[in-house]
Amino acid sequence: MDATSFVTFLSAALFVIGALGVLLRRSALLIFMSVELMLNAANLAFVTFAHRWGQLDGQVTVFFIMTIAAAEVAVGLALIVTIFRTKRSTSVDELAQLRG
Amino acid sequence: MGGFTEVNLAEFLGILPEILVLLWATLLLALDLFLPGGIPRRSMSLLSAGGLLIVALVTVLMRPAEPQVILGGMVRNDLFLTVFRLIFLLAAALTCLVSVDFRPLRAGSEYYVLVMFAAVAMSLMVGADNILMLYLATESASFTLYLLAGVQRGDRLSAEAGLKYFVFGAVTSTTMLFGLSLFFGLSGGQLSYKAIASALSQPELRLPFTLAALLVLVGFAFKTSAVPFQFWAPDVYQGAPSPVAGFISTASKAAGFGILLRFFFNAMPPGVSEASLSWVWLMQPIAILTMTVGSLLAVVQSNVKRMLAYSSVAQAGYVFVGVTAMALGALNRAEALAAVIFYLATYMLTNIVAFAVLGVVEQRVGGSDFQHFNGLARRAPYLALGMAASMLSLLGAPPMVGFAAKVIIFREAIGVDLVPLVAIGIVNVLISVAYYLNVVRAMYVERAETESPLFVPSTLGSVVMIVAVGLVVLTFASEPFWGLALEAARAFLRS
Amino acid sequence: MTMAEWALLVLLGALSLASALGLLLSRNAVYAALFLVLNFSVGAVIYLLFNAPFLAVTQVAVYAGAIMVLFVFVIMLLGAERLAPAENPPGLAYQRPLAIILAVALLAVAAWALLSGAQIEPSPSVAPRPDSSPQAMGMWLFGPYLLPLQVVALLLLAAMVGALVLSRKS
Repeated sequence: MDATSFVTFLSAALFVIGALGVLLRRSALLIFMSVELMLNAANLAFVTFAHRWGQLDGQVTVFFIMTIAAAEVAVGLALIVTIFRTKRSTSVDELAQLRG
Repeated sequence: MGGFTEVNLAEFLGILPEILVLLWATLLLALDLFLPGGIPRRSMSLLSAGGLLIVALVTVLMRPAEPQVILGGMVRNDLFLTVFRLIFLLAAALTCLVSVDFRPLRAGSEYYVLVMFAAVAMSLMVGADNILMLYLATESASFTLYLLAGVQRGDRLSAEAGLKYFVFGAVTSTTMLFGLSLFFGLSGGQLSYKAIASALSQPELRLPFTLAALLVLVGFAFKTSAVPFQFWAPDVYQGAPSPVAGFISTASKAAGFGILLRFFFNAMPPGVSEASLSWVWLMQPIAILTMTVGSLLAVVQSNVKRMLAYSSVAQAGYVFVGVTAMALGALNRAEALAAVIFYLATYMLTNIVAFAVLGVVEQRVGGSDFQHFNGLARRAPYLALGMAASMLSLLGAPPMVGFAAKVIIFREAIGVDLVPLVAIGIVNVLISVAYYLNVVRAMYVERAETESPLFVPSTLGSVVMIVAVGLVVLTFASEPFWGLALEAARAFLRS
Repeated sequence: MTMAEWALLVLLGALSLASALGLLLSRNAVYAALFLVLNFSVGAVIYLLFNAPFLAVTQVAVYAGAIMVLFVFVIMLLGAERLAPAENPPGLAYQRPLAIILAVALLAVAAWALLSGAQIEPSPSVAPRPDSSPQAMGMWLFGPYLLPLQVVALLLLAAMVGALVLSRKS
């Protein structure tokens, strides 16, 4: 096994742990952190492959993904704070008004 | 080694429509800030819609004769993109117009600016020729839509809708991104669709490519609300402001189909390698499930907004029938793609009207259940007529244009021997009679407690009437539009 | 790769997995956030090993810095650090085993798929090491990646406008 495969597996494992977090946690904040972990797993894969193939494109891509992650946090936290103002809870199970 | 190419600034002309919309949007945003008292909301809506329509005209005038890849391989500018641009610009303009009198949207001018941003991002999604652009544009479009869904301030449901949309959207798009990172690694560090396609042929890479394709498909399925990623749609549509729900269910869905077609047909063309079979084989089951789940769940709804959400899932299923025909058949691929484009365009007009009328009923009658539509024909005859036209077109009843669109899609599917699929499609159309005509029955047969006329805002009323008439006229004057769709399809396949 | 680099990589991998599991299992939102900071920092070191110094610094500044500070700020603002002990509401009981099965299956498939593709890769020493200094990255961002840069600008503007609209008092 070479370093590329090792880190690719690592990133797949991180991605799966993040996905598990999304499925298992009930707090919007923690779901959100798990999404950040998944994003980071994708970043790790991009950097590894960029190193593996000697292409800088992968690194540039990661730079853009980081920007997106920052914007995502701003939008997501704004939405969470808006909800929390009226509900005093960050649990997704309380988002149950929309059922029919 | 990836070519280090300087971007020629003249190539920015290829995305002139996007640049113009952005300039107009930021100009309006700045004016609203610096003018004393800001721009009145009514003028803001008219200015936004007017700007979008003018840009649509520019788009038509500047349509590229030949497909060209511009801006460092980021964007493919062709007639396919032109047609989708028109769909997005028109959808955004109609959304701006019908939002004028939607009272809960006191958010001000930012709302219209976000709608314009969303239209730009969607155009870039369909134009993307490279996985980085694909991801960036998709996320830009998604962010603006999350915000638009949650924009109704002081409304719990709206904020909930925004958060739900956001959580599902973030998870699925991240899954897509992980798939894209695998594509980057497997294709030897290449980002462009074409480079990925040339790496596909290695038989050892079949399995990894299949895995990557499945992960990417998750993101596309979310955007097109295909089963099993449709569950967010009813909740988000119900909570979001009605005009925004109309916009998400039409423009965003069309953009989802746009990126699906672009990515899969350019990066994993069917018939080139075994790896392409991964997505080709999935199209038919997705089409069947999406149509069936959508129509069956729509039947049992008591709320028209949720019914329309499931109906829009079912409509996506019909589009997937066309995509299946395109993926499986090699001979009539252009016709099948033209059918998909035509369907998406007519569905956009129809559904935006439906949600516009729904918005009025929601505000003035006080809810969006079927009973709130009772006796609407007497209280607001023109509005009821528009809604009836829209329902019949969604159903696919002649002489509405929805009929022509469905006939064309099914015809192309039969052309590649997909008879069972078309049979299931027709059964679903028959099921959908129940819920679409239920709205018409409530409006025309049932009686309301009060017969007092409903106040219908003039802008919205005229937009609804114009589009409703258009839905009939288009059936008989579909030739030029069908020709344009066919030309766009040919440009798409000539890559 | 030298032996020492390998040892470091394995250590980092273990640390990264451990912190991710810590995030998954933590009962306190602040601890979860700190585990995530640790995970991001480990990622930055791996970036350094993989010839990405600019990204390593950005990772620390943007992720471990700005993003996580925002998270912790919101956790404190909302007083939401203590998570409810009953994380599994009734009616969703089936979700936990299902999720774990799905996750294990996904990981297995990924490992299998990637292994089957790994054999044909040429030896890593063949790959060139491009100049990845901040200057070089800047040249790329304003060269071939000019359009994505503009799109990101649009995205940030939209996010800013939207976040302001959402959090403004009615």
